[in-house]
Amino acid sequence: MTPASMSSAELSGKAPAQDVALAVRDLNFHYGSHHALHGISLDFPARCVTAMIGPSGCGKSTLLRVFNKIYALYPGQRATGEVMFDGRNILDDSINLDMLRSRIGMVFQKPTPFPMSIYDNIAFGVRLHEKLGRTEMDERVQDVLTRVALWNEVRDRLNAPATGLSGGQQQRLCIARSIATRPEVLLLDEPTSALDPISTARIEELLDELKEEFTIAIVTHNMQQAARCADRVAFFYLGRLVEVDTADRIFTNPREKQTQDYITGRFG
Amino acid sequence: MTASVTPASSSGAGRTGSDSGRWRPGRKAMRRQMLDYVATGVSIAAGSVLLLVLVSILWTLLSRGLAGLSWATVTHRMGPPGSGGGLANAIVGSLLQTGLALLMAAPVGLMCGIYLSEYGRKGNHFASVVRFVADMLMSAPSILIGLFIYQLLVVPFGHFSGFSGAVALAVLALPLIVRTTEDMLCLVPTAMREAGAALGAARWRVILFLCLRSARKGVTTGILLALARMGGETAPLLFTSLGNQTMSTDMTRPMASLPIAIYQYAGASYEDWVQLAWTGALLVTFGVLLINITVRLSSRH
Repeated sequence: MTPASMSSAELSGKAPAQDVALAVRDLNFHYGSHHALHGISLDFPARCVTAMIGPSGCGKSTLLRVFNKIYALYPGQRATGEVMFDGRNILDDSINLDMLRSRIGMVFQKPTPFPMSIYDNIAFGVRLHEKLGRTEMDERVQDVLTRVALWNEVRDRLNAPATGLSGGQQQRLCIARSIATRPEVLLLDEPTSALDPISTARIEELLDELKEEFTIAIVTHNMQQAARCADRVAFFYLGRLVEVDTADRIFTNPREKQTQDYITGRFG
Repeated sequence: MTASVTPASSSGAGRTGSDSGRWRPGRKAMRRQMLDYVATGVSIAAGSVLLLVLVSILWTLLSRGLAGLSWATVTHRMGPPGSGGGLANAIVGSLLQTGLALLMAAPVGLMCGIYLSEYGRKGNHFASVVRFVADMLMSAPSILIGLFIYQLLVVPFGHFSGFSGAVALAVLALPLIVRTTEDMLCLVPTAMREAGAALGAARWRVILFLCLRSARKGVTTGILLALARMGGETAPLLFTSLGNQTMSTDMTRPMASLPIAIYQYAGASYEDWVQLAWTGALLVTFGVLLINITVRLSSRH
């Protein structure tokens, strides 16, 4: 596709409306008196991997934490603007947080296995939202563990504590736990930064499979990871969205000089 | 492997054979090393003093107390000198009072600790007052707590009671349980709370099923240590449960307890009473020791 053939919507980072899972419009975010995000407008196309890159403190994780309103745990943090998801602005106070978070799952930087068995780690989230019989729950657990390629490794010790798993296994368990509640969107905050290269590769493969079904937003410091996994890449700097485009174009021919400087390692 | 990377086979064999003198420490280095030896020696000596104190206490207790330890001691109640009395009523009284005290202090302490750690983080004035008061209470002399309960529960009712003894012990245990619970919950990583919330779990669920669960070892340790502390306290009971020569399980009447029995018997001029005091001391100490060892073992696995 040549630049001339792009519609104006694509140039401004907006994808066709029917395929947009999350539509951010003029979003501002404050940590107390610190203005962390400035007028962000960005679309997250459905069933695509959108990577957010940028130097530390640029606001990419902050943006991710707006989508499931996890920031609401902390007084003094507030978001203004619009984030449309399934026809509603999730920044509205009327949004039920528990429902929102069952539809938008999140995986954190450090694996966070709960202090219970592998089985219960997955069942914990499911039980919050659904009443399943024993066999249905067994099926659900097996299904999600299979999809994160963990089933064969843990099938014989489902009742063992999850803290006994390796870091990479723990992180795959956390992903399994997040998709077990059948969300539509999956938020990943530097999910592989605490993992070794082999575990990282497995999680990257996993993303490729998961995007068939989920809309994925991933924050990463690893440029190769963004290039390998993402369909679209958004570059942030100092709380502003500098540029968003397909991964190919960001990494081969970015429009902005700041993007160019960042991806070539000249700053950040 | 080539010859150039193995020093022994290289032309410099003569140089690597005899040392150049740079291995020998200089005067300053020698002094530092000596100082290190001295400091290590002093520290080990200090450690030994502590160990010696504990060992000599245990040894004295064992050698003096074991003689009086028999089936009769734990089955017979206290009696007049020379009548072959035991400590049964004191043991039962101690168990009842510490048990009841734990039942009162543990739930309140647990909930207070949860409040401080989950809802009363920095900037909350009420929580910082509660935290300050808990610290004050922790270092308050236990006899003051006894006097306070005396004014509160003994004077108005006109008689001493096992119940008021239990309340005094509970007041003593409360700050311990509060602060350990808070400290243990504060050690639970924020990521755990966020991960729970991110699945759509309500706050109370995250606290009860994730935070408290991952801190459960530390929290039970705190409760057990508070129990051990209560088991050996005398001062709060002096003005509250008073002590009792007869077997009584009535919480509204004066009640015997091991520490009070030791207090009454140790200074007596009857030989069998003094013997019972030693035996009682042995029972209390080993009870407390047993709780501490249980805590150690359970927190290891």
